[in-house]
Amino acid sequence: MFPEWMEGAPTPFSSVLVANRGEIAVRVIMAVKEAGLRAIAVYSDSDSNALHVEMADDAVHLTGNSLTENYLNSEAIILAAKSSGAQAIHPGYGFLSERADFARDVANAGIIWIGPSPEAIETMGDKISARSRMIESGVPVIPGDEIAIPEGSDHMGALASVAARVGYPLLLKASAGGGGKGMRVVHEPKMLRTEYEAAAREASAAFGDGTVYVERLLTGARHIEIQVLADKHGNCIHLNERDCSLQRRHQKVIEEAPSTAVSNDLRKSMGESAVMAAMAVDYIGAGTVELLLSPNGQYYFLEMNTRLQVEHPVTEMITGVDLVQKQLEIASGMTLGISQDSVGINGHSIEARIYAEDAKRGFLPSIGTLGVWIPPSGPGIRLDSGVRQGDQVTVDFDPMLAKLIVHAPDRKSAIRRMDNALSSFVALGVTTNIGFLRNALLHPSFTSGSITTDFLDSTPINEFDPKYTDPKIIVSIAASAKRLGLDKLANTLSSSDMDDHSGHSGDPFRTLSRRFP
Amino acid sequence: MDWEIADLDDKFSVDLTEREGKVTISSVSVNGIADECPEIRISQVGKNPTIILETENGSRPAHVMKIDGKWWIHLEGEVYVVNEVEKGGKSSESAGGLSAPMPGTILEVMVKEGQRVREGQPLMTMEAMKMEHRIISPKSGEVISVNFNKGDRVDMGSTLVELGD
Repeated sequence: MFPEWMEGAPTPFSSVLVANRGEIAVRVIMAVKEAGLRAIAVYSDSDSNALHVEMADDAVHLTGNSLTENYLNSEAIILAAKSSGAQAIHPGYGFLSERADFARDVANAGIIWIGPSPEAIETMGDKISARSRMIESGVPVIPGDEIAIPEGSDHMGALASVAARVGYPLLLKASAGGGGKGMRVVHEPKMLRTEYEAAAREASAAFGDGTVYVERLLTGARHIEIQVLADKHGNCIHLNERDCSLQRRHQKVIEEAPSTAVSNDLRKSMGESAVMAAMAVDYIGAGTVELLLSPNGQYYFLEMNTRLQVEHPVTEMITGVDLVQKQLEIASGMTLGISQDSVGINGHSIEARIYAEDAKRGFLPSIGTLGVWIPPSGPGIRLDSGVRQGDQVTVDFDPMLAKLIVHAPDRKSAIRRMDNALSSFVALGVTTNIGFLRNALLHPSFTSGSITTDFLDSTPINEFDPKYTDPKIIVSIAASAKRLGLDKLANTLSSSDMDDHSGHSGDPFRTLSRRFP
Repeated sequence: MDWEIADLDDKFSVDLTEREGKVTISSVSVNGIADECPEIRISQVGKNPTIILETENGSRPAHVMKIDGKWWIHLEGEVYVVNEVEKGGKSSESAGGLSAPMPGTILEVMVKEGQRVREGQPLMTMEAMKMEHRIISPKSGEVISVNFNKGDRVDMGSTLVELGD
């Protein structure tokens, strides 16, 4: 019934519903299956052929076209868990992962919640209560203030006075925002209204909450975050830092571990602060304490993400700890099984986020058919992907397609490995940021390990321009391919083929709306 | 048939010969003018969308596939999109029009017909994929038409605003 490793656990379970989609759903489903548990996926209409559904042992359809009807619909997901016999729910990241009411509803339904307590999510999810709890616990915080804005009221006066108190340049954050959405930098008072309105709109479109938080913008800082793990028996450790300073508009682009800016002493101090932060809310499971490291070596609590993080693989690579497996163990009531002293750092790891976006057009999301998708492979190369060849990339969801992770003995060789892996990554049919990632990785500021969070936004885009091949060679390839009949191969794809559900005539390599070139 | 590379203004035509699955390029002209052409030979690898490119710098593989009517090429870590165009045909990009980069909803229209705008001025904002995007004027000129209102849904490629001189 229960897998062998779970023997003796206080709250064992044999099946897990993964309340997510894309690469993280695939990552968690594979870990659940590897652990000997039954994996249950959920999916919306447009995801009926998605990779995470293919991977799972069972899948439950969520009706409705909007996120609030499907992946954000807590009632429907709990119902799906009950109907499929799931004994536990893993929320992944994003979506319902940091909704305290969802965690509570899951527990009330008699299902094991793979995550921290609703109280911990609540305290850390609200920036005011998180701050005051951190101040009480002796964790340093950045100057800032929250402002509650009732719908439709005239709020600019109140916002302006809060902004003046915090000081410019400042950061406007929708309280319920995250992942760069609903977050705006305001350099001077006259831009306050425009940026506030944009932030509020984005936040309500993405998260259904319009409250705004005003925070002093620290310039020249690095984004360092500490991975923590805590069990239900009061044990809490940290698994070193990740450096996520390479960001574009507060969206992380390349992450690495360890950080070039963190000495052993600083790591110890930051790690202890992170453990203190987690213990202050009786944290359970895997979580991340985000810190800003200012140029003078001071660091400040930014926020705690009470869930698995997109960039968790770099920590797994350097520590050898499978964080999702640990989440499962902790949820079953087992003890950590790792002491702080046994956590080491083995080599260097870098993660690059592969997005369907066009760096040459202001990073606009791109769509299309993934006609060719040949990821790199080899020693120290890992791909966490939510897509495979033949998939349609649409505007329905976040444009992140996959994460490419490398591991090597040291930073220099990790950069070489990532460069080589990115340049041999073939993704055709949808414009991706792969070329941009490579040029950002090889930028002297990144290779020297000295970048700060404003690096990408303050560096002219042409510094990341690729070295193009002579266009005459490119058109020669196209003309030759046409002459060789490459357009007549069965692998020629078009979206009109994909949309045609009416017949399968003449194409045996086709299931529903997906083709296998 | 002529060829265009996305983001380049030039038009190319290619003369080639093929023998037993091996193509030799005899000349490439740029905008109707024959250009000095490096020695290029191209052959397909099996039935895969992979070719071997041989030039004076040696041989390297490239991946090629026609997807949604366009040729996609991966060569040495970079991706190129190549379009076939009728000989002497007009470029597919319409002059002066500003088209929606993706499907979405118009959030705000900042300009009126007849208004003068400067390069870099925001014309509209639209929401797509949960993010807000500003449509920026690529040049100074007069707004000839504004084709959508606040709240309208737009398809990818729809002309949002037309600009004159």
